[in-house]
Amino acid sequence: MKNKTNCSAIEILNLSDEELIDLSVKNVLSLSLDEMKSIQFYFRKLRRNPTDVEIETIAQTWSEHCKHKTLTGIIEYTEEKYSKKIKRTYNNLLKETIFKAAMELNKKWCLSVFKDNAGIMEFDAENGVAFKVETHNHPSALEPYGGSATGIGGVIRDILGVGLGAKPLANTDVFCFGNPGIKDSQIPDGMHHPKRIVKDVVAGVRDYGNKMGIPTVNGAVYFDDGYMANPLVYCGTMGIIPKNKIDKKVNSGDLILVVGGRTGRDGIHGATFSSIQLDQKSDVGAVQIGNPIVEKKVLDTMLKARDLSLYGAVTDCGAGGLSSAIGELGEKTGAIVYLDKVPLKYGGLAPWEIWISEAQERMVLVVPLKNKKRIVELFKKENVEAVFIGKFTKDKKLTLKHNGHVVASMDMSFLHDGISKPKRFAICKIKEEKVQKSIKMTSVDLSKTLKFVLSDLNVCSKEWIIRQYDHEVQGQTIVKPLQGTDIEVSGPGDASVIFPYTLVNGTKRGIVLSNGLNPSYGKINTYKMAASAIEESLRNAVAVGADVEKMSLLDNFCWGNPNNPEILGSLVRAANACYDMSKAFDIPFISGKDSLHNEYSIGGKKYSIPPVLLISAIGVIENVANTVTMPFKNDGNKIFILGVTRNEIAGSVLAKIKNIKDGVVPVVYPKESKEVMKRIYKAINNDLIESCHDCSEGGLVVAISEMAFAGDKGVKINIDAIRIKGRLSVAETLFSESNGRFIVEIIPKNKSKFRDIFKGCVFAEVGCVTKDKYVIFESQKDKVKVKEKSRNLLKVWRNTISW
Amino acid sequence: MFKIDIFTKEEFKDSHGERVLSDILSIGIRDVKKVDYFPFYIIYGDINKSEAKTIASELLSDKITEGFKISSGAEKKSKSSIIEVLYKKGVTDTVSESVIKAIKDLGITNDVKVKTGHKYYLHGNVSQDVLNKIAVKLLANILVQEYKIK
Amino acid sequence: MKKVKVLILRSAGTNCDYETKTAFEMCSAVAEQVHINSLIENKDKIFEYDILAFPGGFSYGDDIASGKVLANEIKNKLGDKIKKFSLSGKPVIGICNGFQVLVKMGLLPEPKLFKQISTLSYNNSNKFECRWIYLKTEKKIKNESNCIWTKNLPDIITLPVAHAEGKFIPLNFKLLEKLNKNNQIVFRYSTRDGMVPKYPLAPNGSVEQIAGICNTKGNVFGLMPHPERYMFALQHPAREGFAGKYGYGKAIFQNAVDFVK
Repeated sequence: MKNKTNCSAIEILNLSDEELIDLSVKNVLSLSLDEMKSIQFYFRKLRRNPTDVEIETIAQTWSEHCKHKTLTGIIEYTEEKYSKKIKRTYNNLLKETIFKAAMELNKKWCLSVFKDNAGIMEFDAENGVAFKVETHNHPSALEPYGGSATGIGGVIRDILGVGLGAKPLANTDVFCFGNPGIKDSQIPDGMHHPKRIVKDVVAGVRDYGNKMGIPTVNGAVYFDDGYMANPLVYCGTMGIIPKNKIDKKVNSGDLILVVGGRTGRDGIHGATFSSIQLDQKSDVGAVQIGNPIVEKKVLDTMLKARDLSLYGAVTDCGAGGLSSAIGELGEKTGAIVYLDKVPLKYGGLAPWEIWISEAQERMVLVVPLKNKKRIVELFKKENVEAVFIGKFTKDKKLTLKHNGHVVASMDMSFLHDGISKPKRFAICKIKEEKVQKSIKMTSVDLSKTLKFVLSDLNVCSKEWIIRQYDHEVQGQTIVKPLQGTDIEVSGPGDASVIFPYTLVNGTKRGIVLSNGLNPSYGKINTYKMAASAIEESLRNAVAVGADVEKMSLLDNFCWGNPNNPEILGSLVRAANACYDMSKAFDIPFISGKDSLHNEYSIGGKKYSIPPVLLISAIGVIENVANTVTMPFKNDGNKIFILGVTRNEIAGSVLAKIKNIKDGVVPVVYPKESKEVMKRIYKAINNDLIESCHDCSEGGLVVAISEMAFAGDKGVKINIDAIRIKGRLSVAETLFSESNGRFIVEIIPKNKSKFRDIFKGCVFAEVGCVTKDKYVIFESQKDKVKVKEKSRNLLKVWRNTISW
Repeated sequence: MFKIDIFTKEEFKDSHGERVLSDILSIGIRDVKKVDYFPFYIIYGDINKSEAKTIASELLSDKITEGFKISSGAEKKSKSSIIEVLYKKGVTDTVSESVIKAIKDLGITNDVKVKTGHKYYLHGNVSQDVLNKIAVKLLANILVQEYKIK
Repeated sequence: MKKVKVLILRSAGTNCDYETKTAFEMCSAVAEQVHINSLIENKDKIFEYDILAFPGGFSYGDDIASGKVLANEIKNKLGDKIKKFSLSGKPVIGICNGFQVLVKMGLLPEPKLFKQISTLSYNNSNKFECRWIYLKTEKKIKNESNCIWTKNLPDIITLPVAHAEGKFIPLNFKLLEKLNKNNQIVFRYSTRDGMVPKYPLAPNGSVEQIAGICNTKGNVFGLMPHPERYMFALQHPAREGFAGKYGYGKAIFQNAVDFVK
């Protein structure tokens, strides 16, 4: 039988509400009753039932993953503070917070904000830098290796698909895992042990990133039991793009070219799947195996075609596959696609499967008729499959054909705007935070606690992970994730700097990448978590030499079930913090992504993850020669602390170790900290700073110890000289995680110039770098002294994760 | 059909096997004394024994550190327990695509199909239950791979 | 003045081609990234170049074993030409994956033989690792070796490594003796003071800490570390430079370019 198609009509016209819901569940559509009714209404107008292809297309286009309907929907928010209630309605939370700040700040060096596959800011007169961070949580829980590999593969394609394609320069990765030390017997059936998840997730990112030849240069790992069954895997990619390649053009009559991998049953229902909570029977098709070499070939050839101007637009096949890619590109024109022309891995795929498959390594290009032959030849030369599968029309309709039969025909306007806005309720009860009972420690206690904190999973060295990534491929990583004055010792760099000298001839500029992440604060106060994450990401970048006036931010929300008003309320608070901080620091968000429904069930009981807002920061540095690293450089140099230490212990590593329940979560004082950040930039550019390190998890004592062992030096600190605000014990001073603080090392002769620059800021000289390789913290006043060998602390810091 | 097993020669370190052994120890299983790792390739298509030998010696095994065994049917019984891991049907086997290309480069032009897999010889007195546990917890992800215990 | 022309051979999975090209350009050569398919189409094109470079990466995903699929392809489709180029005495370099390719097709240790008699096997740590290491060139070797790539380097240098399969193993003891006798082992992993290192300064467990070798004639050179990633001081973890602001990699590429000139 020729001309056969296995497409069927789905009865919807005469279904009751209950039956509509049943249909959504049975076919894994993840559509609500309102949405099902919108579909019913549309097809009643057409006086026919939809085909399976049409139903699946709508489900993909309207999925949480593609439409972000929770955060763009209506939210009725109530905030309760000291029994006072404030109410507010959001018609589109993102537009009214994060995006709004970007619009209000209206930076002319922001070249593409919240509209393309990635945000773009200016690099120099000719180029922009694009940055995007994605999550790939659910697949990584089921198949950690394949999940994380396709996560990184997917975000790289976002960068390939931004504008007319950017060249990837660096990857970032941030993970949240369960405790890898947990006993095997405590793991519920059917779930992987956290240690296996860690190993496999890292291996996935390693294999894909390394084989793509993109250095993974920045990241973070956070361990908490709340992520045991639902790990979080964030992958980011930064790329460089010529300014004249940022605009996409789709004209009626242009051809649709699909290049790269073949289509199989991979990832069917991946987009809708990401909106469903995890259980042990989760859909098998959602997991895919990546092939980085296919993607590398696409990267190599596609950028050649870009530079020859052979296509007018491009986008990646991500969630929703061809359905989303072509639906987006053809939104204003209409498109016709011949599904039988799509190259398949194997036979037997139904038309709807071809259309929504999320097979990896595919890009969709929009090719003017005149370039038809040239572009295919170019791909063929390097063994990349490239096949025309349809064209863009004028009718503003989506038409799909299979073996000569029309299997779908819908209005683009219905597909994109036909979705009804859901309404959700959110509530946030703000708890009062009280300072804990004063924490007193003896010298011995302090030493012990320092070592506990250094070896804590969330502080210890991540060298085991970082070194498995080729973080130096392309040769452009000039501020590295691990920093040491000698190649045998290392400490954690605050941020990485990429110097794109192989691509931008004669440039002196660099691109800085950093992140901020504080889930432990979020358990108490999501507003402070968000504010702290924003400030931490900026501090990290500033510490290596970033210009805080030339930075942009990315938001990535990973939250639990938004149908729970308190969970959604905590998200609203975090989004408000983003608006406030973005405005206060005068730094825009340029892109973002959310992953909601991070919920899992064990033994029938449902749990949501502790909420996480990852902030990724990107900045442009005028001259890469003016960057600094964190290891102490020379004996006799002076150490200053910039910023003030407050009694802010809640959510700290100390609080976790000592099981302290009370306390205040660190507050952000944007005016104060931005001033310090601006002056650090000035001081670095006047060559006054030898080393600089951000002070965050674990507090001052950790930051200073890290600088000492990374430099293979000793250090002597006078605790009494530290500038504090409020009442703090020695332990609180050393372990408080107050925002806004940096440790810097100064050559003695530069002291007065340095003091001049920081006039008006809070800062103090607290000690000096010493030759004897001992880390010493001493208070005459309280008669306590911590004295540890620098190399010994390095060992403690390194030993926790060395598998 | 030819099945080609690749093994590390006695005098060289089988790093992969050693790592699997340490992983097994780390989940508290002490019955396994040694692990030998064998990657294997199943080649379907119209090729003869001498071509299979060329493929095994020129392509699939390392000239210095590895050897190979070619079988075309049932395998001999082994004293140790064996866990074999293969991708499930429909899951893309990326290595097999490279092997097919390389076989063509060798000048063998007949069409072939290739499946790749991993084989672990576990020495020691290991019960069926423990073997299952090792396979599921460490060696195979049953979502995309299947395993056989021999 | 004659412009020295460098061919950077590219294939599916090559990924250090840009920085290798830039490295040669920084030594005032003209470098071109050429895809293997186009070289196979026009084989004699290779003789238009003065230097041949096999850059790092994961050719064909390093499926089967690192460099294996590309080595097999080159040997079967370009073998004669590559051999002729090498025997003509023109400089050839294989870096990391490129070294693996040279060894696996047998262009190293001896292009005349053109047979695999050594290998680069899995690191003893059984994982991919990216770190900076020390390399030693013994005085005797420096003075007596024919290697055109490693002239005028100090005794101890630093470079980064990034690989999972870098453990050099020769076929037998006789070959090892021969390599030693002919001063073909130009780089060994070392401590800062030139002593025999332990892991991680010995990153992979190579026999006799071998990190890089050349043929007897000295024009064909392969090494696991990445000289193209250390062209200037800023690339070093502690930002140390050599002869002012340069990295040791610069000296290596300059040697070959100067040799051709």
